[in-house]
Order: sequence, then C-alpha cells, then structure tokens
Amino acid sequence: MKINSLISCARSLLLAAGLSVAGVAAASEAVVSADWLAAHLDDPNVRVVEVSVEPGKFERAHIPGAVNFRWHTELVDPVRRDIAPREQWEQLLSTAGIGPDTTVVLYGDNNNWFAAWGAWIFRYYGHADVKLLDGGRNKWEADRRPLSSRPVRHAATEYRVSETQPGLRARLADVLAVVEGERQAKLLDIRSPAEFEGRIFAPPGVQELAIRAGHVPGAKNVPWGSVVRDDGTFKSIDELRALYAGNGIDGSEPVIVYCRIGERSAHSWFVLSQILGYDAVQYDGSWTEYGNSVGVPISNPAGTVWGGT
Amino acid sequence: MDRVRQFGRRADLEPGRHGVGRHLSRSLALRIMVPAALVAGIVLCALRLDGAAGLGRDPVFTVFAGAAFGILLQRSRFCFFCILRELFEERDARGALGILVALAVGSLGYLVVLQPWLPDPGVGRLPPDAHIGPVSWVLVAGGLSFGLGMVLSGSCISAHLYRLGEGSTLSPFALLGTVAGFMLGFLSWNSLYAGTLSSAPEAWLPAMLGYGGAAALQGGLLLALALVLLLWVRWPEPTDASPTGSPPTPATLARRVFVERWPTWLGGIGIGVLGFLAYLRTEPLGVTAELGSRARTLAEQLGWVQGRLPGLDAFAGCATVVIDALMTPNGVFILALVAGALAAGVASGNFRPRRYPWHRYLLALLGGVLMGWGAMVALGCTVGVLLSGISAFAVSGWVFAAATTVAVWGGLAANQLTGSWPQAEQARVR
Repeated sequence: MKINSLISCARSLLLAAGLSVAGVAAASEAVVSADWLAAHLDDPNVRVVEVSVEPGKFERAHIPGAVNFRWHTELVDPVRRDIAPREQWEQLLSTAGIGPDTTVVLYGDNNNWFAAWGAWIFRYYGHADVKLLDGGRNKWEADRRPLSSRPVRHAATEYRVSETQPGLRARLADVLAVVEGERQAKLLDIRSPAEFEGRIFAPPGVQELAIRAGHVPGAKNVPWGSVVRDDGTFKSIDELRALYAGNGIDGSEPVIVYCRIGERSAHSWFVLSQILGYDAVQYDGSWTEYGNSVGVPISNPAGTVWGGT
Repeated sequence: MDRVRQFGRRADLEPGRHGVGRHLSRSLALRIMVPAALVAGIVLCALRLDGAAGLGRDPVFTVFAGAAFGILLQRSRFCFFCILRELFEERDARGALGILVALAVGSLGYLVVLQPWLPDPGVGRLPPDAHIGPVSWVLVAGGLSFGLGMVLSGSCISAHLYRLGEGSTLSPFALLGTVAGFMLGFLSWNSLYAGTLSSAPEAWLPAMLGYGGAAALQGGLLLALALVLLLWVRWPEPTDASPTGSPPTPATLARRVFVERWPTWLGGIGIGVLGFLAYLRTEPLGVTAELGSRARTLAEQLGWVQGRLPGLDAFAGCATVVIDALMTPNGVFILALVAGALAAGVASGNFRPRRYPWHRYLLALLGGVLMGWGAMVALGCTVGVLLSGISAFAVSGWVFAAATTVAVWGGLAANQLTGSWPQAEQARVR
C-alpha cells in the first residue's frame, strides 16, 4: 500500500514536472514568461514594445519602461499597402533606443495579435532577437502585475537594417504557384471556419473584405485562436505540434499562412516558425488580395455569391 | 414659492423644530431611504461588474464616474440650455461662468494627461480617443440643429438624461426623438461624408501652436469670455438670510448639500475634474455614443440604414457602431448617470413628475429629432464635442459651442417675438 502510494506520488510529481516543462511554450526561446520579463524590466539590453490593436491602451497604462509602436501609422506604409518602409523602420527603432543586439520583447492586446505582426516585421528586417510575452497584455493584467503610465524616454540609437529577409513573405504569385501545383507547400488559413467555408465574407463589423467568399484551394483551416489557451498563453509545444499535424502540417514542407488582411496570421506564423521551428512564411496580402484577384481560382464550399440571393 | 421650493422646505430637514418623530414626514423618510437604496445599488452594481467581459478595463470607475456625473449635473443644474437661457433672458451669467470653469479645469487636466501621451503634438498624430472632430459647415449645421433642438425640447441630451432622474415626463419623448434624429443623421451621412467630412480638417490647437501656445490661446479665450460675462452680468440680490459670521449648523449644511442648487462654478470644477479623470482612465465624457449606437442598430434591423457608413467609425468622438452586446461601457455610464441623478433628485426634492399640455410632448419629440441629427453629424453633443472637445483643445469644440449658442440665442429671440414657444422645464430652479 505504502509502495503503491509512493509510486503514485512519484508518478504525479513526474507528471507535474513534465507538464510544467511541456506545458509552457516558453520552452521555446521565442517566448518569455511574465516572470522572466518582470525580472528583466531594468535590463538595458531588453526593450519592451507594446503593439496593441486599440489606440489609447498604451497611453493609459503599460508595462513599466515599454515603448509604444502604433500599428496603423508606424508599422505600415498606407499608400503602398505595405509594411513600414526601411527608413521609417530605422527611425522608429532608433527613437525607441533599440540596437542591433537588443532583446526585443513584444506584447499587446488580443492575445498578441499585432504584437506578433510586429515580430514578423522585426524578423523581416533582420532583427535576430525578438520574443513575445506569453499571454500578452491580457495575462499581464490578469496576473495583477504592475502597470505604469509614466513616459520613458530611452537614449536614442542609430539603428541600421543590415539585411532583410524577403523570404519570410509570400506574394500572390507564390500562393498561385502552390495552387497550380508548380510549387510544393502547405497552405494554412487561420480565419474562422465561417470565413473559410465561405458562409460569410468577413467577420461581423469588419469593413475590409473580398467580393468572393471561401478560401485558397487546398488550404487547411486552423483558426488562430486554437493555438492559445483561455488565458492567452500559447499551448504546449506538443499540443501545437499535434494540432497542426492533425491538419497535415508537420514541418516536412514549407507552410504559407494567411488570414484576411495579414495580421492575425502573423500570430500563427510566429507559432509555426519561431516556436515550432517550421519553415513558415506569411502571405500578408491574404484573402482581401487573393479573393479579389482576377483570374485566380477559389474554393467556396458554401457557394455564397457576392450580392446574390 | 414654487412647488420645488415647497418640497424642500426647511422643516423637512429640521424635524426637531417641531418635535422629533411626529414631524419626520413620510416624504423626508422617502427622501433619505430611496437615495440610500440607490447609492447602495450603484455600489453593488460596480462590485458585480468588476471584471465583467466587454466593459473595458475599468467598469468600476465607469459606474462611479457615471453616478458622480449624474449627481453633479443634477445638483448644480448643469443644463446647457437653462444656463444660456438665464444668460440671455435674465443676464444671469453664473451658470455660463460655471461652464467656463469646467472648461478651464478640464483643459488644465487634459494638458497634464496629453503631454506625456503625445510629447510632440506636431508629428501629425492626434491624441488617442480624444474628441477632436472635423471642422466644416456640417459641424456648424449640426450645432445649429442641436441648439434649436435644445430650445424646443427644453434641454440638451445630457440634461434630459439627468432629468429622467427628476421624473421629467418630457425627457423620454425628447430622448425618443433623439434616437429618430440619429437615424436621420445616418441616412444623410454618406452624402455629407463624401461631399465634405472626408476632406474636413481635424484641427487640434497643440498641433498648430504647441502645448504652450494652445494653452495660452485657450486660456486667454476662456478668460476673455469670463471678463465679458462679469462686465455684462446683472447680479441678483442676495437672498440667503443666513447670518454671516456664525458657523453653519449641520442642518443648514445638509440643506446646502442635499437641497439647494449648488453654485454652477462648483459643479463646473467637479465636471472639469471628472472630465480629465475619465479621459485618463477610460474614455472622454460623452453621452451620445450609446444612444447613437442603439439607434444605428435599430435602423439596421429595420433595414433603414445600410451596413456601411464610410469613415464614421474612423472618427474619434461619440462613435456610433452597431452593437449586439447587452452592456457597453457608455451604456453603463449612462445608466449610472440616471441612477445618480435620481438619487440626487429624490434627496433634494426635485423628483417631481408632472403632466404637460400635449403640444409640449410634441415639441420635446421634435427638439429631440433636431438634437439627434445635430449630434450625429457633429459626432457628439454638448458633453462629447463641447466639454470634452474643448478640454482636449479641439477647434471643433469651439465651433460647436458657438453654433449652439447662436441657435439658442436665435430660438429665444424668436420666442420673445412670438411668445409661443414653451418655457423650459424647471429652467429657473435655483
């Protein structure tokens, strides 16, 4: 009886230990826990950057010492529908006091939606050391960790982009090449099942949409939210592997991931490439480009027709 | 002596003068019990909403800010129309000075908040969430319509909300008209946006003059207006018979706090402080977002408004979006405002439902329509555009203020000529 209890106890301990390692995607170096960040807030080599969807959140309160990147003006080139031009990016990072060797920890609201998109741009412009705060802003707040509304001005740097990584980005032609069998890759659609199946053109309340509903032929649907737990933290590496493997994505082939306008998909791109280490690239033109393009095939299981009855 | 004064007579608060117990009237008991229950209810609601989904980060603050706003509005009779009416018809500028105090205090507070939020105001960005609207003839038209609606219905939207807490039977009709006016605004939005609003400048004083210049200009304007009012004002004879020099008794203090109208300057200080605290913690003070959003949702369900109103959701201000949530932050704020005003109204004896001739209800409805349309195309009302906008150094706030003031002046002048327009409900209550 005693031996049985001991074995049971040991098994429980082992299980708990195993879960605590496997249960935190932060085992990946691309993700840091709130505890880690709290211990490194005063580290001059660490710069915390908030990229929240909602304007005004950062200003009201943010992680002490963090700087604010505004996605709708600072991370984009609105005229070209493109990510921020190189000079604008260099200026932004210089003002934030980021150097080429700085460890950048991004976080934001909505489970790091646009923070992950910011991480994709950091990686695109060749910055090596980029991490996400696990659980983002929601988790930090839920844990009742300290926030500050005091502005911090970091000593400016002279940031220069040394290399870009255009290979992290898929274009319409790349996606079409896969659809037409000229190139081997997996296509991953991370929108909601209703969008994927063509039952709706865009999520409720969203204005930017395509005139066709459905998805890129051959794409698999793994909604972005399925990679996080209820508290917004990433699922364990094993769980993530299993989730994608169940949809035929196991890292043996390159993955092209897309959503509606290319920002939510950055979250899944981050999981695939930075946490799981798969060869994943992001198609930021996404469904608003593909679904509107002339002469390209789509898959529309629901058969919804724009303006039709 | 009017009915309100009778209700708030001294004996109600000094039962001891006529024998404790016997003369503790039922009305006095109600005037203590009902507000106490309401305040307890407000506190309980705040505690229940703590952590509720969809209500922003700070529902507790939202509830208390709404209740405080309702109490401040009711106790200081912070009704824009009544204040302008007292100014134009009686040369009593105390209320108008109260508005200037609210704007001065609010501006100072916003200045403290804005400078760290947007250290360089000249970079081309606007402070997040602040009510800085496009300046064009549409804003002027909206202000004129809103001002005329105030004259016809007897109050602005925020005052109608606090008058719900005073048992006004006109205010529900005015607010119903406001919803209809919002719908008309949605119907006219697309052509106004395409023709004018899309290219109208969102003028922000600090972007043009820096924080120092903006503060100097706005402070100077407020000071100049205050001086004009002080020179023009006809000060009323002092009516307070309380002896000077002797310390106030608890009863007279209680009367001053709970029964008598607070000086508008005092309400102005409170509203100014509440304004920048609200901006700091949640969102700028505004009372039309919920009304407008509910109107838009209803209009969509009725098929009167198409799903897309270009550009509307991109503007800061009392944005009107389709909502399906049971509760929104602004909705909670409005409910708390009415509850706070009800508590203050009952406690002071101002809760007095009464019936009016039928044409008054029709005018309230019509005035509400004009206010709703004006608030929709101006992206807010006297609270969102005027109070919060001017406090945030928005040119749109000043333009709206000027347009509504001109409309009220014109409406009152027309009233004097014809003598046929209604008296504002409880306009002269002190």
